[in-house]
Amino acid sequence: MELTTAFLNLLFFAILPYVALFTFFLVTIQRYRSQKFTYSSLSSQMLENQDHFWGLVPFHYGILTVLGGHIIAFLLPAQVLLWNRALPRLYITEFVMLIGGVLTVVGLLNLIIRRVRYSKVRRVTSLPDWILYGLLANQVVTGLLVALLYPWGSSWFAATAAPYLWSIVKLNPDLAYVSAVPFLVKLHVVNAWLVIGFFPFTRLVHILVVPNPYLWRKPQVVRWNWNRNDIRNTN
Amino acid sequence: MMSTPHSQQSPGTTGSRPAGVRLVVGLLRLAAVSTILFGVTSIASAQEAAQFFRQNCMSCHTIGGGRLTGPDLKDVSQRKDRAWLTKFLLDPKGTIESGDPYAAQLQQEARGVVMPTVSGMSKERAEALLDLIDAESKLEKSQFVGLQIPDGPFSEADIARGRDIFLGKIKLVNTGPSCVSCHTTIGLGGLGGGRLGPDLSKVYERLENRKTLGSWLLAPPTTTMQPVFRDHPLEADEILPLVAFFEDRAQRGGEDTSPARLNFFLIGLGGTVLALVGFDLAWRKRFRAVRRPLVKGAELKRGER
Repeated sequence: MELTTAFLNLLFFAILPYVALFTFFLVTIQRYRSQKFTYSSLSSQMLENQDHFWGLVPFHYGILTVLGGHIIAFLLPAQVLLWNRALPRLYITEFVMLIGGVLTVVGLLNLIIRRVRYSKVRRVTSLPDWILYGLLANQVVTGLLVALLYPWGSSWFAATAAPYLWSIVKLNPDLAYVSAVPFLVKLHVVNAWLVIGFFPFTRLVHILVVPNPYLWRKPQVVRWNWNRNDIRNTN
Repeated sequence: MMSTPHSQQSPGTTGSRPAGVRLVVGLLRLAAVSTILFGVTSIASAQEAAQFFRQNCMSCHTIGGGRLTGPDLKDVSQRKDRAWLTKFLLDPKGTIESGDPYAAQLQQEARGVVMPTVSGMSKERAEALLDLIDAESKLEKSQFVGLQIPDGPFSEADIARGRDIFLGKIKLVNTGPSCVSCHTTIGLGGLGGGRLGPDLSKVYERLENRKTLGSWLLAPPTTTMQPVFRDHPLEADEILPLVAFFEDRAQRGGEDTSPARLNFFLIGLGGTVLALVGFDLAWRKRFRAVRRPLVKGAELKRGER
């Protein structure tokens, strides 16, 4: 029994991460080199734009908040613990993250329902898309449950998850940090590795090609470069 | 790379010396290296054993500081021989279950608590630990004498300081995370403490007394806490106020039954609704449709006629 647990921990928290990370880096690079123009979210807004708003907007604002929180706590765990030293600050952090989490779940559920409901959108949805929806739904629902059942995650992530993730980065996995956490937390971690491994095969790659320069490039004036009267007088 | 007799002889080093000198030099080098290696390993293993004792044993045992959950280990080698002690260290539960009378007596003295099988224990490590205990037993005051906690009542200031340490208002010297990250107690107010770990309102009762609780905190031995506090241990002057705080909590009776988690969820839901309203307002001029309102309008007009 103990041996099985040890083996499963090794498999899911030490081997899977490297399989996932290698797949992520190799396939994203390979796909960008060979199929550059598949780097897209393949927007279906043209096909349906009413329910789309209530999925897309909450989901993106939610996931950016939550993912940003995870990344900050991973990069600056000590600073996060310092910030959380005052209880009101801890509560504010937790509320912001919780609202981000609920927005993500609401948005994702809306997106899934929309995909199922509208036949036009369903037609442009592939098997990898459905698998990805399953993985993402599992990820955000377990994440939300962890936040609600096991507070205060912003602090204990910095104390346990951050050193675990760094041990993976440093090629010296330390499973002590994850082998004793509740099942739901383990599920969230394992599913996260699955999402990372599956990432390069899906339209999630659009994250890597966000047109950030739009934020600082000079304004462009788009003009019709021909005579309007000519256009009106055709036919 | 294939190694050939030629390639082993590196040019310009020992090539010019006679064979006898080469042999002596070689032997000397070997001796020097092995002395350094063995010297370093024995120091390293002693340090390692002390480190291991600190992390795995100190929460239940002292050396010369009286019994905690487990017995005082001073002069333990005089009570039982090496072979028995090693066997017990490797498999405490098995030794008790085998019907060993001394092991049964130990369990009885520990009020039924069975010593857990220590992860990472091996025969070599058990030997190193017993060497360490023998050496420490000879000292007038061992480094593992444990936490000395006064018997008198704690002051209000101690309790208040303990509460501040628990909540994280006072930063832990070795930068460990504050207790409230994972634990709650009765009467914290607000949204209470964390829930990853157990409610600590009654931890003082669970660990019986000041000394066992304090020693437990010196090196928290649970699988969740050990890795977190391994490199960030609590200091004695942090543990004393915490013990005072926990003693005070236990005297209040009861555990944290506040609906903090439900409130947290409800406020989160409220915030989400506000955010959704905000999105709708921010994009109130968003493009909705061209054809659909026209069709709808036409249908309405037809209806009016």
